[in-house]
Amino acid sequence: MSKRWGRVIASIIVIALLAGFAVSGVACAEEKVIKIGTLFPLTGPVALAGQRCKAAVEAAVEVINNSYPDIPVPLADQEGILDGYKIVLIHADHQGKPDVGKSEAERLFDQEGVFAIIGSYNSAVTKPASMVAERRKRIFMCGASSSAELTKRGTRYFFRIAPTDETESIEFVNFIKWLNETEGTNYKTFGVIYENTEFGKHAAQEAKKAIEEAGFEYVADVAFNPGATNLNSEVQMLKGKNPDVVFGACLGADYILWIKTMKQLSWLPKVSLNYCSGYQDPLIAQQLGGDGDYFMGTTGYSPELAELMPAVAPVEEIYKSKIDPPVPFDSDSIQEAVAMLVLAQAIEKVGSLDTEKIVDALYANEWDSPLSLGGKVAFAPGGQNIKAMSTITQLIGGEYRRVFPEEFANAEPVVPMPSWDQRK
Amino acid sequence: MAIFLQVVLDGLLNGMLYALITVGLSLIWGVMDVINFAHGEFLMVAMYVTYWLGFLMNVDPLISWIASAAFVFILSVIVYKLVISPLIGKPPLSALLATFGLSMLIKNICLNRFSPNFKLLSDTYLGGRVIPMGDLILPLPQLVIAIVSLIVITCIYRFMTRSRTGWAIQATAMDRDAAELMGIDTSKIYALVFGIGGACVGIAGGLLPMYMPVHPEAGSLFSLIAFVCVALGGFGSIVGSLLAAILVGLVEALVGFYVAPIFKYVAVFGLYLIVILIRPKGLFGW
Repeated sequence: MSKRWGRVIASIIVIALLAGFAVSGVACAEEKVIKIGTLFPLTGPVALAGQRCKAAVEAAVEVINNSYPDIPVPLADQEGILDGYKIVLIHADHQGKPDVGKSEAERLFDQEGVFAIIGSYNSAVTKPASMVAERRKRIFMCGASSSAELTKRGTRYFFRIAPTDETESIEFVNFIKWLNETEGTNYKTFGVIYENTEFGKHAAQEAKKAIEEAGFEYVADVAFNPGATNLNSEVQMLKGKNPDVVFGACLGADYILWIKTMKQLSWLPKVSLNYCSGYQDPLIAQQLGGDGDYFMGTTGYSPELAELMPAVAPVEEIYKSKIDPPVPFDSDSIQEAVAMLVLAQAIEKVGSLDTEKIVDALYANEWDSPLSLGGKVAFAPGGQNIKAMSTITQLIGGEYRRVFPEEFANAEPVVPMPSWDQRK
Repeated sequence: MAIFLQVVLDGLLNGMLYALITVGLSLIWGVMDVINFAHGEFLMVAMYVTYWLGFLMNVDPLISWIASAAFVFILSVIVYKLVISPLIGKPPLSALLATFGLSMLIKNICLNRFSPNFKLLSDTYLGGRVIPMGDLILPLPQLVIAIVSLIVITCIYRFMTRSRTGWAIQATAMDRDAAELMGIDTSKIYALVFGIGGACVGIAGGLLPMYMPVHPEAGSLFSLIAFVCVALGGFGSIVGSLLAAILVGLVEALVGFYVAPIFKYVAVFGLYLIVILIRPKGLFGW
């Protein structure tokens, strides 16, 4: 008797489950969705940046999925793409760890069935995660990872929006040359402080190459472990070599600690230029207060650049509603929004979800990108956006002032940086 | 020469910070035979207490460290009663896994409540202040931490060696059953030791926001270094912990400057491996 009841109950459960699957399958089929995976560091030392990148992609998806005729961004005036398909994001957290990033990329493709992935902020994670996509012949859109190496691997399915550390290094050196010519400075010696990761190491390599090719002297090469308990030895080493110019590749909390340690050891270079790093983070700028002043770096976007990019403001309002505290876009997060918008444009242009055709279209066309400083996005073989541009800014009083190149400049650079005892 | 002295000074100051974090861990490990994996998270909690007191009530870390230490002391006693106490006498792995789970819980609560964003107290009284001494620079926040560390460790040492409660703690560490037969309430002793251990790391965490940003991962590497210091110094040895922490600070600073900064932690963990291979009980263990 009990066996029979057991069978009946088991049968009911199986039938209910099958019915559930069938109903959900119908629902999925009717819903017309395109699943896109996001892969960012949502926890860990650079989680703040990861959370913002995620929110930026969400803002872009909201613009794509809904009709915003007043926003001057491609696809904003229609609802969805491919005649009614909506984009659904599946989020994954790689914690800033390459091994986690690789396995999460595999999960997104194999279990979640995403069409493409957008990510991963940390170059060290983007590298293995994008190879997961490459092996599966799926698209990997990268907004902000800056290691030049990523687009020199001969990949077909990897696309990167941001400028690379190679182009930024050349821009830094050109800026110093320009300073020497126009301001009468005589900066000759250079140093680099960088985190010992894919991002930091490649930034340092590119910096060294650009510095030496320009005929300057590379005197200090200082790597550190991200999340270190102190940066005293690192700053002591810089202080000992005393370079005129320091390039920094430090993220998040390490950037704060670096500046605080320089203050404690009463040392500053004459000019400090930073790759996509803590420098670009408006919250860090706010927290550091006056200590963060006079540092410089590349900026793809900051509120001070809004007058050059009027389309950003309405998208930024949506973005702010998705992030706590509601800060403006920064150079990194906005690139992730651009990555989503360009991918959606390519899907719409091809008119299907044929990955090969979309990849061909991504390479073949120049895409309108009102959220980019150059206004356009176009990819070279290897996936680098050859239209990527950035300006060099200087942070003074919490404001990012554009100082180079001259056509974008709205302020004169303050060099050399005032020493710590000259500040209030 | 000035640079060498500056590097040694930096190493000493960092070593004193490590000592303050280590001494509590060493005490818990030595007396209770419990490896507290949540030690780094206690540090992080103390940092948050100081941060929020500074942010919301404008209390400087020079004062709020007392509240941080008290908070972590109470937290530690509660943790002992709820998590550790039921596992005393059970296989050591149970307590280790429990504290590991606790560390995950604390970290994730902080992630959930405070977000992963790093937070910095901008205008602390000592933040960025230095004492120039010729070619040498003495950073005041680190100097204050070093002095507090020395005072706290001296007090704990005297408490352990000169007070009746300290003797009771030592007796409990040597033989719990015998201590109970002598009328010592070992449960209270354990709770007190866990609380003192927490208070020590609470003091360190309370002072750190003078120059360090606070975030849920802030305690991770500190706790790893504290484990190295405890093992180097010898389990339960307060003087050993102090000397090992200073040694770690010096090795870190000297290797970081004279070899390469990237090797400073390699040298610390390498030193640990060598000492453990040659002398498993640590430099000053018995």
